[in-house]
Amino acid sequence: MSVNAKWLQVIVDEDEPRPRLNTVTSCMTLCDIKCDNYVRLIAADIALEDEPTATLKIFRGTTLHTELKLNGIPAAVQSFYSDESEPKTPIIAVAIAESVLFFRNLKPYFKYTVPGLGAEELERDLWLKLPTVRVEQQPALVESLRSIERPKMSRKSQKLIQLSQEEQNEFILKYADATVMRHPNIVALGCLERISSDVNPPSHLVIATDNGDILVLEPQSFGLIYQAKTCDYETVPSMIAVHGTYETDFRIVIATRYGGVYLLRKSVKEGQEIFKISHPFTGLMLLPVDQTITVCAMDCRLVCYSKKGKQLYVNKLPALPMCMIPITLPHLGLTLCCVALEGGLVQLYLQRYLVNEFHMVSTIGAMCFGRTGHEDYVLNMVSVEGEIFVKILKRTAAFDPSELLALKGNVESKAMVETILEKSKKSSIFVEQAAREKQNAKTTYGAFQAELWRLRYVAARATVDAINSSESTISGDITHAPVKLSAEVCGIGPEFRLYLTIQNMSSYKMASNLTVLLHADRRHYTLNKSMAKLPSILPGVPLKIDFEIVAVLDPNLKLPPHTLTIENSQIRVMLLKARQTKPLIAAVIAMPQSEANV
Amino acid sequence: MGMFKKISTFFKNKSEKVTILVIGLNNSGKSTIINHFKSPHEQAAITVPTVGFSLEQIRSEGVLFTMVDTSGAWRYRSLWEHHFKNCHGIIYVIDSSDRMRLVVVRDELDTLLQHPDLVNRSIPILLYNNKVDCEDSLSSVKIAAALGLHNIVDKPWHITPSNAVTGEGLEDGVHWLVQQIKSMNSNNKKLKR
Repeated sequence: MSVNAKWLQVIVDEDEPRPRLNTVTSCMTLCDIKCDNYVRLIAADIALEDEPTATLKIFRGTTLHTELKLNGIPAAVQSFYSDESEPKTPIIAVAIAESVLFFRNLKPYFKYTVPGLGAEELERDLWLKLPTVRVEQQPALVESLRSIERPKMSRKSQKLIQLSQEEQNEFILKYADATVMRHPNIVALGCLERISSDVNPPSHLVIATDNGDILVLEPQSFGLIYQAKTCDYETVPSMIAVHGTYETDFRIVIATRYGGVYLLRKSVKEGQEIFKISHPFTGLMLLPVDQTITVCAMDCRLVCYSKKGKQLYVNKLPALPMCMIPITLPHLGLTLCCVALEGGLVQLYLQRYLVNEFHMVSTIGAMCFGRTGHEDYVLNMVSVEGEIFVKILKRTAAFDPSELLALKGNVESKAMVETILEKSKKSSIFVEQAAREKQNAKTTYGAFQAELWRLRYVAARATVDAINSSESTISGDITHAPVKLSAEVCGIGPEFRLYLTIQNMSSYKMASNLTVLLHADRRHYTLNKSMAKLPSILPGVPLKIDFEIVAVLDPNLKLPPHTLTIENSQIRVMLLKARQTKPLIAAVIAMPQSEANV
Repeated sequence: MGMFKKISTFFKNKSEKVTILVIGLNNSGKSTIINHFKSPHEQAAITVPTVGFSLEQIRSEGVLFTMVDTSGAWRYRSLWEHHFKNCHGIIYVIDSSDRMRLVVVRDELDTLLQHPDLVNRSIPILLYNNKVDCEDSLSSVKIAAALGLHNIVDKPWHITPSNAVTGEGLEDGVHWLVQQIKSMNSNNKKLKR
């Protein structure tokens, strides 16, 4: 109960007509469309019965307010502000096929069409021939059109090959003079906010198209100001996540339909691949604080990667993830990852820890979090059946990973008690095995040694991975107080003094039970004391400790051993916490070259 | 205002101070209600969202009414509890047209009732079912049921429909509240004797 009391379920009257909505996460947005401080939910309702149609629906609370007919199926809907003038009127951008329709005050305001691409040589030639040849020869030419790949064909040709032979001639004559152009389709939209002291700054619109182009539009004139490719070959983006501002620097993370994730920076016009997975993505998130990328895919895993493509942690999901959204709680300084799973379970993760979960009556297919109505933290959910659910975050809710962790820990420790170790009895199998071992003592020993070495190798590799993954100067584990480490090497050698400053970055938590461990190659450096237990560190009071390091010099030559190079003249510093296997911080200190003893 | 003349007759010949805490979610009409109680030349033409809280003092025939006008915004709701100790009555304003947040209204009311400063006090709570003029507003009966008001047994409560813009229904509510405070004061005096 204590875990689930974080959300308040909005109760809708049974006798009232409940609006239905069939949508996806990318087609949902929240905005103050009437400029009356009442934030409304805007979503594209996509009806797929016989003739696919879509309408833009605006909700007031949970009741349908306005409907707008759209002339196509939208890929994404975004709302943003275009200028600083008061009253601030938001703009709704709806991406349909190759164009973005901008609505202002619920009226069409502007239409932007992405730059067209030249058609294939073959297709252009065919369209030159088609109107000139006799009607009997046309089917053969149309047939040759089919050899072109569908996505690379212009819309005109696509329509032509769908028509029956009788209609084709008429169509050809009608559109003979129209230019043969193909347009990439828009697959995703994003927003880059401008630097501003205002709460609702104007935003640049980011567009991803299915030929891998990423475009950025200027908010006032809707002019194209930035264009880049996802990667050097053509690929189809499926989702984007953006962070930063256009004026300074931004990062766009692009997930493609083929499982690749690419990172695009402002300075480069081509994204670089950071990792690839073999299952289709259902959600992509770029966490603003530590700049990690979280994805959930159809293999029931929630995986977090660093920007360099290093896998940081994996969470196993109990069911298929349907969609994922970030939940930013500025008052707590947290960004949670909210994943809706098949079957109606919705889970909230704080980094690798599950902090909250609740069950809905049916599978949630789309979600949207933010200010809705007059309330700040509202989670709007749409089930796959089309029902709308609204949950409001309780004012007193806090997300502490230790809460659920404690619950789970109890279960684990219980399981530990219940399993009694089975002792091998002197059964016939045991006796036979003992006899076998006696006979083949040599091979048994060899096999044991080989396995032992393998185990040591696996352990060593895991250690290196653990050390590398925490390689930073600030600890990233949110369950403890964040700690910052800085180092300073004094002296010219062979005796050096290493000063370490450890600072507690938290505002209220105490960092206790910490140990500093130094590690160096003993052929190069001698450490008199390589470990130090630290007293508890209070927030804001830095702790300074020092170590003596003596560089090993050849007694005759007065030179360091030849194995010491610039690359390996380093000392590893690890900050460990008691009863935790992974170091909080692992840093490498490059040592200066040592002078001979005077 | 004529109403305050009437109220102050209860406290005649005593320089009594009465503090009334006005709370409710943002945009429910707290400042507009207080604005209505002020003398005509002090009334503000437009109300803007309150930040933090503001104290409005209304003196009438020797009685000083202090109205604590709190902000209902999300980040300021935690400040409400600091006023609980020193108030004689609570006015809880509800936006009856905001159906979505009725569940928040209930949650905040429950938190208030369980607060240690109030849990053992028999403090009168007046609920204004505000914005009754809105077309999709809920009736007082429905709101009382939705908030589970019948579960409150240790505190006198009263719900009254109101329209803060025109002032409709405000006087009835305050009349009830003052009577409650008055009877409570006289009870206390009897106990002291």
